[in-house]
Amino acid sequence: MPAQSEMAPAAIEARGLERTFKGGVEAVRGIDLSVAAGEVFGFLGPNGAGKTTTVRMLCTLLPPTAGSAHVAGVDVLRDGAEVRRRIGVALQEIGLDPIQTGRELLELQCGLYGISGADARARAEELLELVGIADAADRRTKTYSGGMKRRLDLASALVHSPEVLFLDEPTTGLDPASRLTVWDEVRRINAGGTTIFLTTQYMEEADQLCRRLAIIDNGRIVAGGSPEELKDRMGHDVVSVGLNGADPAATQAAIGELPGLERVMVEQDALALYVEDGPASIAEIVRRLDRTGVSVGSISVARPTLDDVFLQATGRRLEGDEEPAAAA
Amino acid sequence: MTEIALLGRRAVREVVRMPEATIPTLFIPLFFLAVNIGQVSKTFPSSTPFLHGQGYAAFQIPVSLLFAVSTATSGLALVTEIDNGYFDKLLVAPIRRSSIIWGRLTADLVRGVMLSVLVLIAGLAFGVHVKSGVLGSVVLVLMAALWGVAYAGIGLLVALRTRNVQATNASFLVFFPLLFLTPNFVPFDRLTGLMEALARANPVSYVIEGLRSLVLQGWVLHKLAICMGVIVATGLLLTWLSVRTIERFDR
Repeated sequence: MPAQSEMAPAAIEARGLERTFKGGVEAVRGIDLSVAAGEVFGFLGPNGAGKTTTVRMLCTLLPPTAGSAHVAGVDVLRDGAEVRRRIGVALQEIGLDPIQTGRELLELQCGLYGISGADARARAEELLELVGIADAADRRTKTYSGGMKRRLDLASALVHSPEVLFLDEPTTGLDPASRLTVWDEVRRINAGGTTIFLTTQYMEEADQLCRRLAIIDNGRIVAGGSPEELKDRMGHDVVSVGLNGADPAATQAAIGELPGLERVMVEQDALALYVEDGPASIAEIVRRLDRTGVSVGSISVARPTLDDVFLQATGRRLEGDEEPAAAA
Repeated sequence: MTEIALLGRRAVREVVRMPEATIPTLFIPLFFLAVNIGQVSKTFPSSTPFLHGQGYAAFQIPVSLLFAVSTATSGLALVTEIDNGYFDKLLVAPIRRSSIIWGRLTADLVRGVMLSVLVLIAGLAFGVHVKSGVLGSVVLVLMAALWGVAYAGIGLLVALRTRNVQATNASFLVFFPLLFLTPNFVPFDRLTGLMEALARANPVSYVIEGLRSLVLQGWVLHKLAICMGVIVATGLLLTWLSVRTIERFDR
């Protein structure tokens, strides 16, 4: 991980964090994290990479097998109760009581954080307005849509204005419009000074929301930095050559050493060529393939994405990724 | 206390809003009450010494009360919350984990009172007369409800340990041997040797005896004391185990 940005104190600090489950499954294998106060930090990885286990350890729901972690300056192992007072959590599985109304649920949540009476009623009303479900406040939560449930869950994590907010895949399963609403909420909450630790399997989400991020795969952090830093490390442009059945080695040999070629990644039925000047390289690639008689399906050029970063770090594309349909 | 009150109020709200989770538990005790009365009323007329001048329904009503309140409803509610993620929400709040258990038990007390009143009303319709009077009826209902609270610990324990809805639901079956290895049909001295020994070793027998004394005999304090002792001891043991299990949940 790169050094913590500027001089801000760490909101989350983890060293050598590990979690091995019964049966020897190593979900998290010694990760180091440093998240500055006030930033939106992304934790990007495929299903089963160890994102949720990490969040559960940082939230005191699961004890680490080894390592240490401090959240809001408090040791999660030594003073879990104090950590819980300082954090808000919206886990991947939306935790709502279906029998209660949205208003009742928020008022109860206020009570559990020591906010009672008129203050609790006012805070619940404020949050219901904030997340746009005031109209449905007195309906039982089981009647809510997926997006409304997610927003209510988010609101319930905010009742006590936490210093650090953990959002575990907050937009998984949401439609594009609901995703954008959640993104707006995340930005608004962060603008108020709350540190946000956000896990996601969506690259665009990480790109849009996070100042810095870490990529986790198979329980280990494999890359870290700001989205731009990570993409810049990949090179200037990426030219994708769709093989359409052509032999990858033969195609790579046909293209040979291009001017400005930084690296080549072989994927399933495609080559990714990281080059300094994409448009100029395309012309040269076409010439070389034509000269050697190698036929390919397609050639396109783009800026490197976080998926390219993931590919470079792990040797494969981010599994299960479904790009959000709309950008903010 | 505040968190227990808040979680208790939520659980009671659940009882009120989900009558479909409570009402069916009335069916079995009322069914057994009607069937047992129909089958043995002629065998045990009111002149039978152990009936103290009442019909057989009066002898059976304590069994029906225990049947009604000994449920796994709280355990099922808890395992459902573990399943849907709300349990995590509670665990990550700055509250004592034990308050989640106490909140559930609060609902059991309310549910137990409701069910006991309904069973008692059914008993009155079958001609039962509570010898200890109105106050005795109130004590009868409260003691039955408290037994329900004590017994709820089994469902809560199974829910926390298995995290499985089917296993939690099946925990209700534990009560069948506990209820039937008792003087539920006839007094201790009418049971065969082995059955009497098992019944005397079964603490539920003394709960039935205590409740039954209120209906048939009036205020028999030593029976009530033993009954209350069994309820309190069972409650303390199962609640302690439940609290211990929730404190260690995922730790």
